[in-house]
Amino acid sequence: MTSRILSALVILLIAVASASAHHAAAGIDRTKTVELKGTIKAFSWQNPHSWMEVEVASEGKVVTWTVEMTAPSYLVRAGWKSSTVKPGDEVTVTVRPLKNGDPGGLFVSVKLADGRTLTERPVLAQPAAPPAQ
Amino acid sequence: MRFVIVSLFVAASAAAVSAQQADAPPLGALAPANLSKSRPAPPFDITGTWLNDLRFAGSWRFGPPPPTVKLKPEAQKHFDAARQAQAEGKVYRDDIGQCWPAGLPMIMTRVWPIAMVQKPTVIYMVSGFMNSFRTIFIDGRPHSDPDVVVKSFNGESIGRWEKDTLVVDTKYFVGHHHWIDSGVPASDELHIVERIKPVNNGATLEIEYTLTDPKGWEGEMKFTKRWNRVDDQDIQEVQCLPDLNQHIPSTQSKDNVR
Repeated sequence: MTSRILSALVILLIAVASASAHHAAAGIDRTKTVELKGTIKAFSWQNPHSWMEVEVASEGKVVTWTVEMTAPSYLVRAGWKSSTVKPGDEVTVTVRPLKNGDPGGLFVSVKLADGRTLTERPVLAQPAAPPAQ
Repeated sequence: MRFVIVSLFVAASAAAVSAQQADAPPLGALAPANLSKSRPAPPFDITGTWLNDLRFAGSWRFGPPPPTVKLKPEAQKHFDAARQAQAEGKVYRDDIGQCWPAGLPMIMTRVWPIAMVQKPTVIYMVSGFMNSFRTIFIDGRPHSDPDVVVKSFNGESIGRWEKDTLVVDTKYFVGHHHWIDSGVPASDELHIVERIKPVNNGATLEIEYTLTDPKGWEGEMKFTKRWNRVDDQDIQEVQCLPDLNQHIPSTQSKDNVR
């Protein structure tokens, strides 16, 4: 049980760290998630971040959300391939949204048309702690 | 007479060779004559792929500044502005997000792994983040002439062995668009000393950092960071591209404070 808790903690911390790695992420609202039910417009399998665009129908309009993801080397370990999603796929994507209300956010998970749900984080074993500062 | 002429010729030739040797540029780190020089065996070899230990909150940060450090007025302005931006849910001077190099020390603690290759004369590091390239010379050379050196975001690193520790002295940094931590700028007088050693039977790399910057703050910033071997990962090609940034919501947000 302890190792499961540790693994979950590792996943959480890597997810938090990821957004701080390439760029600052103060503009992301980490207290919220938004569920985007829509259609994949584009998906880029790319370093250092993959990304997708999701078209979401809302109040008679179609809004394109831009969703930032982690690197393919991590996605592969979480079960992704470059062909996992493609334009036209109907998906439900969960994101942590921008605070300013613009249609964008950090990827949390996707529910695919075949029923599978994928996140972006593998479990990494991490040994001992550094000494106290 | 003939003996005198021959002697003069030999002496002149020897002087010319000596002058040539004195003017000869130093050997490059990968020159066979440098690699093959007799040296004591290094206490360890850090060749491998390493990932910052992400189990700990803030493990990828070199901040906030410890209470023993007093920021200089200009640095304090940045620090205060960054804190205000953060309180407003904004991003302050996110130069890395705009494709400026992370630079030392931050490049060492990105979420992406770092490949390290150790030779007798040099250690090369390539980060999985933007393929940032770092060289640590361990062939006994001194730091470059400050009038000649080209300043860079990772600086010039010179390493030496002290018992079981590799001590790396780095200076000659670019002093703009270069940050120690959010709101803490690095100047061209930033000086970093790293004390590197393996722990955990070689599975973990520990580095003690001492940062000074007379233009930025009074006192020393000290941090200890750890990296773990990730034997199932390799470094891939990566660039910071305009069309990528167009699809990174955080870097495009109007809430970036420039």
